[in-house]
Amino acid sequence: MKAAPFARHAPQSVDEAVDLLASTDDPTLLAGGQSMVPIMRFRLSTPANVIDLNEVEGLDHLEEDGGQLRIGALVRHADVQASDLIADRYGSFADTAPVVADPQIRNRGTVVGSIAQADPKGDWGSVLLAHDGEVVTRGPDGERTIAADDFFVLPYDTDLGADELITEVRVPAASDREGSAYHKLKRKVGDYAMVGVAARVVLDGDGAIEDAGVGMTSVDITNARSPGAEDVLEGAVPDADLLKRAGEAASEDANPESDEHGDAAYKENMTRVLTQRALADALDRAGGS
Amino acid sequence: MSANPTSEITLTVNGTEETLEIEDRRLLVHAIREDLDLTGTHIGCDTGNCGACTVVKDGEAIKSCLMFASQADGSEILTVEGMEELPEAGEELHPIQAGFKEKHGLQCGFCTPGMIMASKALLDANANPSEPEIRTAISGNLCRCTGYQNIVSAVEYAADELGQTAAADGGFLDDLEAAVEDHDTARTDGGEPS
Repeated sequence: MKAAPFARHAPQSVDEAVDLLASTDDPTLLAGGQSMVPIMRFRLSTPANVIDLNEVEGLDHLEEDGGQLRIGALVRHADVQASDLIADRYGSFADTAPVVADPQIRNRGTVVGSIAQADPKGDWGSVLLAHDGEVVTRGPDGERTIAADDFFVLPYDTDLGADELITEVRVPAASDREGSAYHKLKRKVGDYAMVGVAARVVLDGDGAIEDAGVGMTSVDITNARSPGAEDVLEGAVPDADLLKRAGEAASEDANPESDEHGDAAYKENMTRVLTQRALADALDRAGGS
Repeated sequence: MSANPTSEITLTVNGTEETLEIEDRRLLVHAIREDLDLTGTHIGCDTGNCGACTVVKDGEAIKSCLMFASQADGSEILTVEGMEELPEAGEELHPIQAGFKEKHGLQCGFCTPGMIMASKALLDANANPSEPEIRTAISGNLCRCTGYQNIVSAVEYAADELGQTAAADGGFLDDLEAAVEDHDTARTDGGEPS
């Protein structure tokens, strides 16, 4: 037997899950389980009670509603990959889904679970940051909305309370003049990012950049925004030189560590390169140059 | 010490309904191998990387070491042992298995059950996959012997065989699809439709 003993609970509603979080001893939440099951089987975590969210009704929505794109807690990476809405309007999400892990894991693993785990090498956090997204939680005191900027605290540590669960993540619905992209450098298929960059731009009527978001993977202790790159971009008319300067600013904001995949200087350089590439795709998709 | 929490689960495995009393913490792969004695499903890496434990659950390829058996209650599982019983199987082997044999898609054979199940999920969803699509579909399965080329050939062989069986069965929709594809290819190539 691999995991330590636990009792599995299969709530059918969010309310029931929240009650179980409050009423059971040493609980943990389980959604796709593609990281959580290994964590438990290696006994890095030994919860007494596992609250399995997979049977909860109403958490599998992937839709635009009320001016937002809403991704429920049970939406799998493969669902994002298969979505026409995503393919048509959300380039960064469409780029990210197929480069998360491998097909089997994408069939089970969830976007929200990846964000909840808050691995600084996880891809979705960068996308959420680039889109000025938010995390919606439910707890004993009801619903709470946390801006992505405030959500990621430390590696594997977030603003989520011990008595809360995430019901969905949201980003503002894409306008017709928005484009976004995600570029990920990895050694081979299925790996975590050595460096990843999510970029989003919104153009104004004259072709200048009205709003920009840049989120970075694996180059800091959490998924991180690049305020420097966003400053360079906002208000400017895009050209090759602008992308170059934005890439340099992102590289300045990155704080990668050297590891077996590359030294810090290499990763800073790749942050510069991937920022330019992601921005070029985002601009293209926004209908700009 | 009190007994560890258990659950009663019912799985339909290779078409047979099985009811098991298992500890909540039991991994699906252990239930398949040890409780049901279906040892064709392998455990390679114990970390979710290698894909040797891949089974088809409710039509999707999953890694059975990354799921607790208690979560699979009520689901339909297909393992490599069930392949030869499927309607499209030949007298001895399923066309995917035949492909691995014909095209030398295995050497040591350890990864093969997972490769076959990942290929099964692919071909169910996409009867005529391109080479990149095949490579993507098996990208969660590691093989340390073959270099993958013959595995890709095996899946291509199976797709052809399954296409012919479907055609012989009057699978005119598949034929139509193939004809349209041929036509499109011919047009792009500047040639005549075949």
